[in-house]
Amino acid sequence: MTAKIEARRVSKRFGSVVALDELSLEVAPGEVFGIIGPNGAGKTTFLRILTGYWLASDGDVFVDGVSVTRDRFKVQATLGYACEQPRLYGDHRVESFLRMMGELRGLGGERLREATSIAVTRLGLESVLHRRIGVLSKGFRQRVALAQALLHEPALLIVDEPTVGLDPAQQIELRRIIAGFRGSHTVLLCTHQLHEAEMICDRVALLDRGKLAALATADEIRAGGSLESLFLAKVGTSAGVAQ
Amino acid sequence: MIRRLWALSRKELRQLFASPIAYVVLTVYVALTGIYFFQHLVSYNQLLFVYQSEGLTGANFDQGTVPSQINVLNEVFVPSAEDFGLFLLVVLPLVTMRVFSEERANGTDELLLTSGLRPWEVAAAKHGVTYLFVLFLLLGSAIYPAVVVTRGGLGMEHLVALYAGQLFYGCAVASLGLACSSFTSSQIVAAVLGYAIPFVLLDFAWLSNSVSEGVAAVLKEAALLSHYGSFARGVIELRHVVYFAGIAAFGWLLSVASLELVRAR
Repeated sequence: MTAKIEARRVSKRFGSVVALDELSLEVAPGEVFGIIGPNGAGKTTFLRILTGYWLASDGDVFVDGVSVTRDRFKVQATLGYACEQPRLYGDHRVESFLRMMGELRGLGGERLREATSIAVTRLGLESVLHRRIGVLSKGFRQRVALAQALLHEPALLIVDEPTVGLDPAQQIELRRIIAGFRGSHTVLLCTHQLHEAEMICDRVALLDRGKLAALATADEIRAGGSLESLFLAKVGTSAGVAQ
Repeated sequence: MIRRLWALSRKELRQLFASPIAYVVLTVYVALTGIYFFQHLVSYNQLLFVYQSEGLTGANFDQGTVPSQINVLNEVFVPSAEDFGLFLLVVLPLVTMRVFSEERANGTDELLLTSGLRPWEVAAAKHGVTYLFVLFLLLGSAIYPAVVVTRGGLGMEHLVALYAGQLFYGCAVASLGLACSSFTSSQIVAAVLGYAIPFVLLDFAWLSNSVSEGVAAVLKEAALLSHYGSFARGVIELRHVVYFAGIAAFGWLLSVASLELVRAR
């Protein structure tokens, strides 16, 4: 199950600060799409608008033609969201947390047991199933966040900075897991790590100060050298990083 | 919808009893109400003793006769109800302060509000579980009054009315505290507002001399105490129930509005 995303001239202003400035982009069904950019580029703001957590000041985002502004609950039913620095309930055990999140997603009975079991196996959470989330390592907390986002088999999986603070082994493992969703889910990956986007994504959007600075496919990135070259060319000069 | 509400309510119950505050509040409230109720009972017994003592004669004493206004209702139940109401005002903000603000501070509100949950469902579960906690508090403190009612010749309707009044009043106060908690990520700010607003609403008698008669009458109707007193006398009036239910509904609506406002940030 996959979904198509269409952002049309999306803007978000916080007082006089423009966090997103008429951003338009399309993500094809089944694609692993990366959003990169420096701090304050508007990456998380865009994800929060897409998930219906924030309202756009102007413009709209459509998921399979459904407007997030007008029908956010319908859109939320089709997406799973693992936000930055997993915001989970530390006093829950992994199993009870996943069960609760499944119930909040409307799952119950045998369907809930099956969905939990699939998510646990997929994310390798068997060994920590009965442990409290608060005592888990960051890597496992990220996996739990991903597992809860996958319980209802969403067409669209949104992952914000999944590998921040993880050790190299955990980063490799998590990237492998996310790349494995290609084709079965549309994946929107927001990351600071350029090589991560380069390795996993089919296409990458580079945001800078709320605007779309560049949009490139994996082939185009390879042809141009690397994502780092693209980043420096588009953002580096304006941020004073390149030279 | 029922499944979601049930799951949310279980989460709230779990979070409530995962914190030591709930147990401390329960213990302190039950202890305070027990001590104060007992003290009123002792004072009443001393008064009876004075009136019934032989040899007390004079203008104010009719030997062996207790005036009709000296009874367990006036001397024990009414003052106890006033004390219990104040204790609720003191302990409830300690429970309500974290309910919304903790989610906001930890960022878990983002998890809930992007999971397809309606803001009214989130607010309903949080308010519902807090009202249930108010009920726990009251049940814990009902033992001594229940003994006095059953052994002291008062009708059971007095006990029911006393506790119905406390429940309505407690839910209204808790609802205001929850509304305060929903607008901030700071538990301290939520607690301070949760104390300040019900205390201001408690009684406007201090203002009555400074305003016109009409305004004083409106303020009297708006005060929590004006609607709470009659319950202790064993009377449940619909208008008082509607008043407390209205405040509880207003607090819930404010909580829903605050969750919607997050979106419009």
